[in-house]
Amino acid sequence: MTTSVTIDSVTKRFGDTTAVDAVSFDIAKGEFFTLLGSSGCGKTTLLRMIAGFMRQTSGHIRFGGKVIDHVPPHQRNTGMVFQNYAIFPHLTVFDNIAYGLRARRRGKAEIEREVKRMLELVRLGHLAHRRPRELSGGQQQRVVLARAMVIQPDVLLMDEPLSNLDTEMRMHLRAEIRSLQRQVGVTTIYVTHDQEEALLMSDRIAVMSRGRVEQLDVPHRIYAEPQTLFVAGFIGENNLLPGTVLGREADGGAIIELAGGGRLRGASTTTGDGRACIVSIRPQDIDIADASNGTELSLSGTVGDIQFLGGAVKLMVDIGADKPLTVALPGRRDMAMPTLGSALRLSVPPHAVRTFQPEVGA
Amino acid sequence: MSTATRSEDPTGRLGAVLGRLFDFWPMVTVAALGLTTLLLLLPVYNIIGLSFSGTEAGRSLFDNYAMFFSEPYYYRSLINSFIVSISATILALLVGIPAAYFVSRYNIWARSLIKTVVVLTFVSPPFIGSYSWVILLGRSGVLTRFFAEYGISLPSIYGAPGIIFVFTLQYFPFVFLLVSSGLKSIDQSVEDAARNLGSGEFATFMKVIAPLLLPSITTAALLVFVAAFTDLGTPLILGEKFRVLPLLIYGEFVNDFGGQPVLASTLSVLLLAVTTAALLLQRWLSARFSHATAAIRPLTMQEPPPLKRMLAAGYVYLLMAIAILPLVNIVISSFLKANGPVLTAELSLENYRRIAGTLARPLWNTILFTSTATLACAVIGTLIAYIIVRRPGRISALLDTIVMFSYAVPGIVLGVGLVVTYHYPPFALTGTALILIMAYFIRRLPFSVRASVSALQQLSRDTEEASVNLGAGPAATFARVTVPLLSMAILSGVLLTWSNTIRELSATLILQSGSTITVSIEIFNEVVNGNFGVASALGSILILLTFLPLILLFTLMGKNEEALV
Ligand SMILES: Nc1ncnc2c1ncn2[C@@H]1O[C@H](COP(=O)(O)OP(=O)(O)OP(=O)(O)O)[C@@H](O)[C@H]1O
Ligand SMILES: [Mg+2]
Repeated sequence: MTTSVTIDSVTKRFGDTTAVDAVSFDIAKGEFFTLLGSSGCGKTTLLRMIAGFMRQTSGHIRFGGKVIDHVPPHQRNTGMVFQNYAIFPHLTVFDNIAYGLRARRRGKAEIEREVKRMLELVRLGHLAHRRPRELSGGQQQRVVLARAMVIQPDVLLMDEPLSNLDTEMRMHLRAEIRSLQRQVGVTTIYVTHDQEEALLMSDRIAVMSRGRVEQLDVPHRIYAEPQTLFVAGFIGENNLLPGTVLGREADGGAIIELAGGGRLRGASTTTGDGRACIVSIRPQDIDIADASNGTELSLSGTVGDIQFLGGAVKLMVDIGADKPLTVALPGRRDMAMPTLGSALRLSVPPHAVRTFQPEVGA
Repeated sequence: MSTATRSEDPTGRLGAVLGRLFDFWPMVTVAALGLTTLLLLLPVYNIIGLSFSGTEAGRSLFDNYAMFFSEPYYYRSLINSFIVSISATILALLVGIPAAYFVSRYNIWARSLIKTVVVLTFVSPPFIGSYSWVILLGRSGVLTRFFAEYGISLPSIYGAPGIIFVFTLQYFPFVFLLVSSGLKSIDQSVEDAARNLGSGEFATFMKVIAPLLLPSITTAALLVFVAAFTDLGTPLILGEKFRVLPLLIYGEFVNDFGGQPVLASTLSVLLLAVTTAALLLQRWLSARFSHATAAIRPLTMQEPPPLKRMLAAGYVYLLMAIAILPLVNIVISSFLKANGPVLTAELSLENYRRIAGTLARPLWNTILFTSTATLACAVIGTLIAYIIVRRPGRISALLDTIVMFSYAVPGIVLGVGLVVTYHYPPFALTGTALILIMAYFIRRLPFSVRASVSALQQLSRDTEEASVNLGAGPAATFARVTVPLLSMAILSGVLLTWSNTIRELSATLILQSGSTITVSIEIFNEVVNGNFGVASALGSILILLTFLPLILLFTLMGKNEEALV
């Protein structure tokens, strides 16, 4: 795997606030890499430093191994797609796309050929001579995408490119961007706060919070094996319940007591014995236990609320803790629908139970 | 990774830093600082220096000022300046606020015609208004003689009352335009609430509307004050024995010509001190009063009872008739046969025939100087605006302050400063076209900068960054993206600059020489020589040149009259 972009302990401070805090990672050539995080976590700041619009306070950025810290933005050969399109309103679609090639003083024939090819790729060939104001939001975003890709950038940078579009267009363009990126093979850094988008599109995701990378991994591992409490809470629906590690079994699994008294086995728990922790369990990992299989390590509770969602049924089960436990059952034709107020026994497979240090002060 | 280590070592970094100095925007910044220093700060610095100097040895630094404040001949002029300016300011407010209120709130007839009259009055050259009033109300004026036949003697147009009268009419449009736009930013709910609580219309205006208009009113008041305080043409024509400060500066400057204009510099510094204080006061006040909120539902048009409507309309029409009278008079008298200063009732083209032979040079000069300065303002003003908006920092704030200081420097002061600075070799610029263009340019620069600044602030930075990201350098991005996107703002700035520069008189009076004579100077000379007919023909041409760009501005570019202030 050849490295395309290297972020080497990059920090950016604005006065007292640290927008990006000692972030490091490598991005492989052709990879679709996503920065995911809530508002204000420093995604844009990091992206703008990569594009060269902003200089990091410390650390280095490398393209293909070369430090580019001193390279001005117009010589970095990155292609940026902005949240609000930033289309050139005074130029036609064709001229918008040709802009970067003209700045690079390419020949007329080459410009013509490349722009045409790109227009076909984004399926805008018939609109080449339109003005931007005559285009829909989705079309404008495709122009901007074509404009950024036609220069064959070392890295394509996208800052929440879909957030100004309606849901349908967003779904559609997600798939389109991903398939274009695969066709062209351009290394891409994609910024979003939409986890579904991130999980769906990315080769790898860096989950950011308060300027730091919390976890960097492939999508299914981010989802299935959150490494920090933040990631566990941020990605997907989750039950986060306070508990205590009571002790360990012979196979290394931990016995965990939840607030409310229910006990569970957790397979890969690192929290020390006798320590308070936050227990994370995905709703869909919880099952209704067979009455026959009544081990002492199961949870019991009463059904407080039932939400029928078609493909799934959600139960809010009161297990005696502050918050009810959310249980998601697959909505099958022949499922036995629990009734409101009925008592239930729930079982959780040990590998689905994760524990985290309670965050101090949070 | 040899490249990596190389660019991380100190010499590489130093090289990069040095390289940056020669980047486009740092170079433009340095050039702009240099230019404004040479054209504005240095002249001001020199007259301040001169004001503290003297020819005789053993004098104290403040001798010139001491003399000013001990000799009634001198200090009276300062008092006089304050008297006429403050009076004109108060009168302009008293006349302008009701007019703006009536036109904005009451559905009186011909409102767009009224606005046209305001614009015409506002942009017409003040000295033309003055001498037009002499034609009407002078010793042998048309109206004076007319009323004398009936035994009525009209008040004199000369001296302080005449100056105040002309200033009021000339500058009330500041009040009218600013208050009109202030009224637009007040929400109807404010008035409704007051009326609902039982206030009558007048009480509502005084207690609710007027306080909300305070930012507009104070700004207008200070603009009127400064304009009146620094005007040279009007007191030159109407002052007679009544001397104001600008008049004294001009007189002393002409006297001292050849030597160092020490006294003119001293007086200039005093004038500058007053205008600077007024400008700072205005900034402070507008920062204090800036509770400007955009109205969701602006004040609505009212339908007053017929009598009220008629009285309001009558007042506005009378005011507009008086305000437009001097312009109408100029145009009419340009077609009358003149007998020296006395115009006959006989229509003729004689005045135009008389100027036909001599008009070419001043007209060409005027158009050349104005166009060059306007172009320079557009280009350099946009560059400076870009630095101020897009590259904030200490140096750009300094540039901003210097440019805005130019607002405070009256034309006559700038004129004296430029002569003091560039009269002697190696420059020897006095009497050249260049020095006039320099003066016009620096005087209008803050207006151009301000127009581009507000346009730039509304322009998303992303579009320019997209261009840089695609490989266009800073200069190319400015030329290919920023300028096209600002083109409408720049163009309307050009039209306004042209229209304002072409009628400049104060600095021109100081800086022109025979070969650089302009239309405004030619008019002025003809007025002084009593050739009112010829002056009117020239005046009509100047008025036309002033209005043409504004017609374009209003019709083609869809701007309204508020763009003027
Ligand atoms: N120019 C600046 N000056 C001062 N603080 C800034 C500046 N730019 C960003 N910040 C701060 O840095 C932090 C990170 O901002 P950034 O724009 O990178 O967030 P983001 O992750 O892109 O958020 P969003 O999803 O809302 O776009 C924020 O706290 C922000 O207030
Ligand atoms: Mg952002």
